Amino acid sequence: MHSWRSRSVMRGSIGLVVVSLIVVACGGGASTVPSTAPTGGTTPAPTVAATEVPPDELTGSLSVLDWSGYDAEDFWADFDGTYPKVDVAFEFGISDADIYGKIKGGSSADIFHPYTGWLQFYVDEGLVAEIDTSKLTNWAAVPDSFKAVGQFDGKQYFIPWDWGFTSVLYRTDKVSGMIDTWSALLDPTYDGHISMWDDGPAAVTVSSYIHGYDETAVTDVELADIKQEWIDQAPLNIAYWAAESDLVPLMQSGDAWVAYAWQGAYATLLGEGVPVAYANPKEGRNSWVGAYGISAGSPNYDLALRFLDEKLGELTGNSLVNLYYYGSANGNVMASITDATLKEAFSIDNPDILEATNFTPNLTADQRDAWTAMWAEVKASQ
Amino acid sequence: MDGDVGRGQGLSVILARRAGAPQGARPADPRRRTFWALALPPALGLTLFLVAPLLFMAALSFRTDLSGTLLAPFAPTLKHYAQLAATTPFLRSLGLSALTALGVAATATALAYPLAYYLAFRAGRRAAFYLVLLLVPFWTSYLLRVMAWKLMLGGEGVVNSLLMSAGIVEEPIAALLYNRAAVIVTLVYVWIPFAALPILAALGRVDVRLHEAAADLYATPFQQFRRVTLPLSLPGVIAAFLMVFIPTVGEYVTPLLVGGTSGTMYGNIIQDFFTRAANWPYGSALAMVMLVGTLGLVAVGLRLVNPRRLLER
Amino acid sequence: MTATARPTAARLVATRGPRRRWLGSYFWLLIGALYLPISILFVFSINANTTLAFPLKGFTLDWYEQLFDTPALLRAVRNSLGVAVWSSLAATALGAMVAILLSRFDFRGKGALTGLAIMPLIVPYVVLGVALLVLFKAAGVPLSLVTVGIAHVIVALPYTTLIVLARLVGFDAQLEEAAMDLGASYPTTLRLVVLPIAAPALLSAWVTAFTVSFDEFALALFLAGRDPTFPVYLYGQLRFATTLPVLIATAVLLMLSTLTLILVTERIRRR
Repeated sequence: MHSWRSRSVMRGSIGLVVVSLIVVACGGGASTVPSTAPTGGTTPAPTVAATEVPPDELTGSLSVLDWSGYDAEDFWADFDGTYPKVDVAFEFGISDADIYGKIKGGSSADIFHPYTGWLQFYVDEGLVAEIDTSKLTNWAAVPDSFKAVGQFDGKQYFIPWDWGFTSVLYRTDKVSGMIDTWSALLDPTYDGHISMWDDGPAAVTVSSYIHGYDETAVTDVELADIKQEWIDQAPLNIAYWAAESDLVPLMQSGDAWVAYAWQGAYATLLGEGVPVAYANPKEGRNSWVGAYGISAGSPNYDLALRFLDEKLGELTGNSLVNLYYYGSANGNVMASITDATLKEAFSIDNPDILEATNFTPNLTADQRDAWTAMWAEVKASQ
Repeated sequence: MDGDVGRGQGLSVILARRAGAPQGARPADPRRRTFWALALPPALGLTLFLVAPLLFMAALSFRTDLSGTLLAPFAPTLKHYAQLAATTPFLRSLGLSALTALGVAATATALAYPLAYYLAFRAGRRAAFYLVLLLVPFWTSYLLRVMAWKLMLGGEGVVNSLLMSAGIVEEPIAALLYNRAAVIVTLVYVWIPFAALPILAALGRVDVRLHEAAADLYATPFQQFRRVTLPLSLPGVIAAFLMVFIPTVGEYVTPLLVGGTSGTMYGNIIQDFFTRAANWPYGSALAMVMLVGTLGLVAVGLRLVNPRRLLER
Repeated sequence: MTATARPTAARLVATRGPRRRWLGSYFWLLIGALYLPISILFVFSINANTTLAFPLKGFTLDWYEQLFDTPALLRAVRNSLGVAVWSSLAATALGAMVAILLSRFDFRGKGALTGLAIMPLIVPYVVLGVALLVLFKAAGVPLSLVTVGIAHVIVALPYTTLIVLARLVGFDAQLEEAAMDLGASYPTTLRLVVLPIAAPALLSAWVTAFTVSFDEFALALFLAGRDPTFPVYLYGQLRFATTLPVLIATAVLLMLSTLTLILVTERIRRR
């Protein structure tokens, strides 16, 4: 007590607190005052008047539930250019499960961005509105196979936006020979230098490719085998990765030699000069597609539709390809890629690649629960 | 010397007795209004923002799945608890996590004590400054700090490069990172400054003149510590232990960053059921079990240490 | 007692010479260990490297320049500071209230209050975040920095309560009795007797609550609405390899500003 000199401590601490309050207050009230503008929740956009107002005069607000990073203006550049007066606010989700949970939990987002495998749930639960594709000016640039990704019962519920491959990524200087099969991820030769994505459905997919199971109808016996297989595989990993920003340093530092990876990591590492190769497994690569949907009951349907349309625009598509190394659903954007690294990453010069690619099917709720519980057990068994 | 305090009777009793309340009857505390002024804000806040959410999650754990409107009534089921009871890896993980938390709490508290002692008796007037100095690193993003650590400890990191160039090892040591030991070491390292705080607060009660008196009576420094300082600081030690133990059972960030595949803790499993599986009911069931289990452990522990005696001294 | 000289501070010090050095070295060792990763971050923030990998690529202050050119980043930092300051003040106040209640009063709900105050320690943040999200939405409360702040007060409360409680427990109630005997009302007694006694613990509690809030990610992600706090912003930007150096520069700059602030405060206090 004596060494504290209570009074001077009090003075010092009051001083600290006062200074902090001043710093915060001077920083501008806007950020500490809760946003009073409803995030697209309560003001209905007058749909009749909207069509008569020219785009650059149109006002309103939209709320988008997206993955972190996509709030950067590069990724909605076309919309920003055409409708400069519309206020777009972003909420963030860190995974498909998180986004699904937030929409279920009552998020007031008008637009959200799930990926293949998770699309069915929104349709089944009536959480997504049907899209009137006749109003989309960029719809023609999207290849039919991609359009089909967002179609359920003949109706269009999602528009595809970004896509990519999943395959085995490996260090050519650490791995002897060429890798041409998914079983490399379970190969004890690379003990301590493998990195698998921390995701149950992905593990089931890989095992299905290797053993020839039907991904849409995995039986209980097969699931038990898959679980054991990955329990045995777990010690071979240096670590699982959750986001590409985890994987890239692992491979760059040489801690990981062989990994389950999307082509974004491949392109990033190539750009850093790391000697890596992206496999063409005999079982076929996997492909996934990201899609945007409009929340059922959104009061800004018309505005949201315009946002989706502009998302398919070329400026946005080019940003996606060049900044993030993901594919764009806009066929014209893909056809105009000239960068050698990107052409390599997307295997653009290989016309048969899409034929040999397995697209991720949609999960049922039971599969989702069973496969994620299986993976949780794999992790807990270590 | 006022004998009332020593007999374990609180301030309220003393005051009431002095106000003339009859002996034996439950005395009325004359500080009634202050009591309610102090009690209402925390009680209200906790009820609205802690109890209500917890009740919601408890209810959710009895829900079959997430389909349908979330706040609508539903037919309860025990299936998630049954599934948890039948899944040995999860139970084992809970046990391991609790043990890990015990180890981390004990180590962190022990290592924090000398720190608190230094700040209380040696740092003099600079104590507050040193204290803030200790905590300021925690205002830097944990993610970035761990990235920097990984840079140092990784296979081709600084530590291994130094060891290899000095010829001490031939191959990089993989055991520095991505395992359970790395999780424990990191957790202890992170908790020491925080564990020091309650101990420091309690040590503030120790009158330096007691040390002088002990020295006068020819006590060795160790005896003085054991018989004067340590007992008086015990509430702080217990507070520190609890402060570290309880959250560490459900810790998930550190295992995720440095645990690799073998360092997974129970908190990761709960986290995964929410953010990877969208299986909130099962996740809630797992969380409820951890909550009840940890609180139970704490209740048993506190009964053993008899805090009533400490609180009313 | 009069035959021997009263023990002076010097004699006390003399009886514990070696231990004194050991304690001091221990403290500075820990400080070194805590600041080591930050020093590494500092080194990278003034180098041209775009990833956290050696070798170093050359001195540059570009990242700090870019930092001030990124309005979203600056906003996020301001948001975090705002939430942290207000939530830590509220948490300290509430924690002090609970600590006083638990150490100075007898009432029937004592165990329950203790349990409730400690409970946020055991509730996983994701559980609390999801539940608060659903409840706020159901009540029609819009998500904002205020909702994040509320959550931060709840999770910081156990820390502030435990720290202040450790100070007040067993602190003889005699001083308060004396004050009240002299005619002071209890509120006055609290203000003039109890609070000064608890002051150092209040400072510790406040700094702890600030720390808990400033780098908190999980709750902010669920409850922040359109204004991200710095940890949320950071996590989002980590997906882009190119933004890492600017983020590191931000963290280092925050650290240096805070250190300067407390050094200055210390200098002023010493006068």
